[in-house]
Amino acid sequence: MERIKTELVVVGGGPGGYAAAFYAADRGQKVILIEKDRNLGGVCLNRGCIPSKALLHATRMIEEARESVHRGITYPEPQIDLDKLRTWKSSVLEKLAGGVSQLAKARGVDVMHGRGYFEDSKTLRVETPEGQRFISYDHAIIAVGSKAALPSMFDLGNPRVMTSTGALEIDEIPASLLIIGGGYIGMELGTVYASLGSQVTVAEALPRVMTGADPDLTRPVLKYLKDHFKEIRTGAKVQSMATQGKQIKVVMEYNGQKLDELYDKVLVSIGRVPNCIDIGLENTKVQQDEKGFIKVNERQETSDPFIYAIGDVAGGIMLAHKASKEARVAVEVLTGEASSFENMLIPAVVYTDPEIAWCGLTEEEAKKKDIKIEVAKFPWAASGRALTYDRPDGLTKMIIDPETDRILGMGIVGHNAGELISEGVVAIEMGATARDLAESIHPHPTLSETIMECAEMYYGTSTHAIPRKKREES
Amino acid sequence: MDVKLPNLGEGADSGTVVGVLVNVGDMVSEGQTILELENEKAIAPIPAPASGKVAKVLVKEGQKLSVGQVILTLEGDGVAAPKEPAPAPAAKPTAAPVVPVNTAPASIPVIPQGVPLYQPIETGLPPAAAPSIRKMARDLGIDLHRIRGSERGGRIVMKDLYDYIQYLQAIAFSPKPVAEAAPGVPAKPAPESIDFSKWGTVDSEPVTPLRRTIARRMVESWTTIPHVTQYDESDITDLMALRKKYKDDYAEKGANLTVTPFALKAVVKALQLHPVFNSSWDEVKEEIVHKQYYHIGLAVDTEAGLLVPVIRDVDKKSILELSLEIEELANKARERKLSLDEMKGGTFTISNQGGIGGGPFTPIINKPEVAILGMARGVNKPVVVGKEIKARLILPLSLSYDHRIIDGGTAARFITDLGKAFTEFTDEDVKLPKK
Repeated sequence: MERIKTELVVVGGGPGGYAAAFYAADRGQKVILIEKDRNLGGVCLNRGCIPSKALLHATRMIEEARESVHRGITYPEPQIDLDKLRTWKSSVLEKLAGGVSQLAKARGVDVMHGRGYFEDSKTLRVETPEGQRFISYDHAIIAVGSKAALPSMFDLGNPRVMTSTGALEIDEIPASLLIIGGGYIGMELGTVYASLGSQVTVAEALPRVMTGADPDLTRPVLKYLKDHFKEIRTGAKVQSMATQGKQIKVVMEYNGQKLDELYDKVLVSIGRVPNCIDIGLENTKVQQDEKGFIKVNERQETSDPFIYAIGDVAGGIMLAHKASKEARVAVEVLTGEASSFENMLIPAVVYTDPEIAWCGLTEEEAKKKDIKIEVAKFPWAASGRALTYDRPDGLTKMIIDPETDRILGMGIVGHNAGELISEGVVAIEMGATARDLAESIHPHPTLSETIMECAEMYYGTSTHAIPRKKREES
Repeated sequence: MDVKLPNLGEGADSGTVVGVLVNVGDMVSEGQTILELENEKAIAPIPAPASGKVAKVLVKEGQKLSVGQVILTLEGDGVAAPKEPAPAPAAKPTAAPVVPVNTAPASIPVIPQGVPLYQPIETGLPPAAAPSIRKMARDLGIDLHRIRGSERGGRIVMKDLYDYIQYLQAIAFSPKPVAEAAPGVPAKPAPESIDFSKWGTVDSEPVTPLRRTIARRMVESWTTIPHVTQYDESDITDLMALRKKYKDDYAEKGANLTVTPFALKAVVKALQLHPVFNSSWDEVKEEIVHKQYYHIGLAVDTEAGLLVPVIRDVDKKSILELSLEIEELANKARERKLSLDEMKGGTFTISNQGGIGGGPFTPIINKPEVAILGMARGVNKPVVVGKEIKARLILPLSLSYDHRIIDGGTAARFITDLGKAFTEFTDEDVKLPKK
């Protein structure tokens, strides 16, 4: 059996894996990238970020048209051609995946399609359509990602019970949809289905949906969800599900009552599990934590000296941009550079309506960790640009260290919050103070002005809002 | 105005107040000594930086002060307040900055010991620095938590990182107490305190900082330099005759003509013949540094302890100039008024116990010099001159040298030439120019 020799093998072609492969190739390594799917790009490109955002954009138009009525512009009711919508969505994915493949080719990264399996710490077996391949490598990066969890009690073998992967296929618009899990994936997809006309019910076991973001940031979203969803149930526990004809019978405990209901479809979005099973980790020294994630240090090193792990499979926040950064750290470390994923800011964006975005320290986190902070807020009702968008339902806030005025965190809810948050990321990464942002001219009229004015609020001098108190300059 | 303790120069960032020489209400003039501060090296007089009336005195005797601490406040217009903070006489004119931040010293800045310039800052927050700075720190292995940023909000910029690296370099090259400075040397057993009162009545006397310094330096020299002492004698009968002949002329000039200026001159002559005795051993670079100048230290016995003022450029000075300078420096030493600069830069040291008595002894080298001359009391001895036995005044000499770089033969030749130099002084050397 022929053995293929390479310097680096990357297992998994998602935003972590392909970033690692490309970066290593750019640094002169001979790289083989293993991808089990036909297309590169992983969950993010094929079954996550990109298709969900395409659908959110498309269905947002339906809402825009409805909201337009009071502005004196009325459209007829929309005609929805699901096949065409799906084709358009797929064309976006194909275009991006093709682009990634071309980038691999241009760099000389050898892409091998098939399942990877570790024979030992230095050998990877790949099951390709053309047969087995054995790869000897100097280093391996595991970037096999995660998949939506579907506990056996929910797994009826019935496509009417979906995970996000199935939901993104939108093979029909269910009249009634139950979303189990009130996390951001459920809320985003619920928004899509609600716009398409589904009656959406959310069942979340915790007392709050969309934990992670501060409550003042989720408030405008909750208002939207309440207006557009049938019901949001918190503290609700689904006890059983069963197929009943063309529907799913769901029994749940909610508000001290046992509810027995029928739904056309159920979306299970209760979290994600690492894809660590059956990749031969037991033949290496790689160790996993109790949830199955691969244990890594801040240099992305696993317990096996030849193997690194990045992205979802390495635990932590499961976001594409976190994986891409970890990819760079891993490649830098394995090529001998001092690198580390320490004190890195991982911004988060939730593509609900309106969007929520935050980075750095949150108010809740500061409270939990007993860090002394001050919070400055600027309501978008005072923003000219927000009003022209007819979207005053926004808020920009900053978490500030009162000792130094340093910005420790930023949170934004509102139209396009995801595009705005990067300013906060740069400010915090640069160690900027609120004064730095207050004194940087922001163009008018833009939503980005709310960041400058929020910083001004901290000093009690905002032009377009009345600050609650004046602050002594430190 | 607040009068603060000025920078006292190298290694002297703090001291103990020996005396406050002014009271509230006193008028002081610029340059007037307001305070005496004792540190490891000496007592430094602290001058008033400006004229004015003393409004408040904020220190008292026995108090420990550090550079920058407010000593007293002056009322009034602070006449002639100098543009620069008035340096104490002890300070070098261009004293190294106390805080290296925002300065770019060309040479290694001197870091006063005990000043916590860079303490780890515990905020619980990651250091405020741009990713590029953090990357550089990581490449260099530097912990940014230890750096206080100079920008708004304590943000660390490239300059702060550079300054910190310079600070680390300065620390790395500043002298350390001997106990820390000798890696590889087996740890000494911890000193024990013995209860002597078990055997009779005792008194305890706390030692002065000066005594501690002397002790530390002696131990350092004795334990790090392999000492050998070479003995010899020199016939100074003729020299004493010369001295007697010109003593009165010198007295007219206010100078007391002793053997010491001759010893200085004789030593320089021997040093010129054997330059290795005028060198230092650079232990880091493993090089011998030859000095092209002759600054000779004179060990002076004072009440507080041993002090070594340095007479500069002995080769360029006349016997008269040396006589005057020796006396001035010896007096200053006894009054503890020597500045640190006046005790630095020596290339060779003479310890003359002739005035006290006793025979030859083994002096300890004044590190980083490589040799020291001990002079005992001259005694009349029967000496064979020609075919006769004559009474001659014989000066016992003892030369301790660093055997790492000076071999026994070289030392023997040096001391022989030195002994000879004592016998070769002539009228030309001593007599004063006619008016």
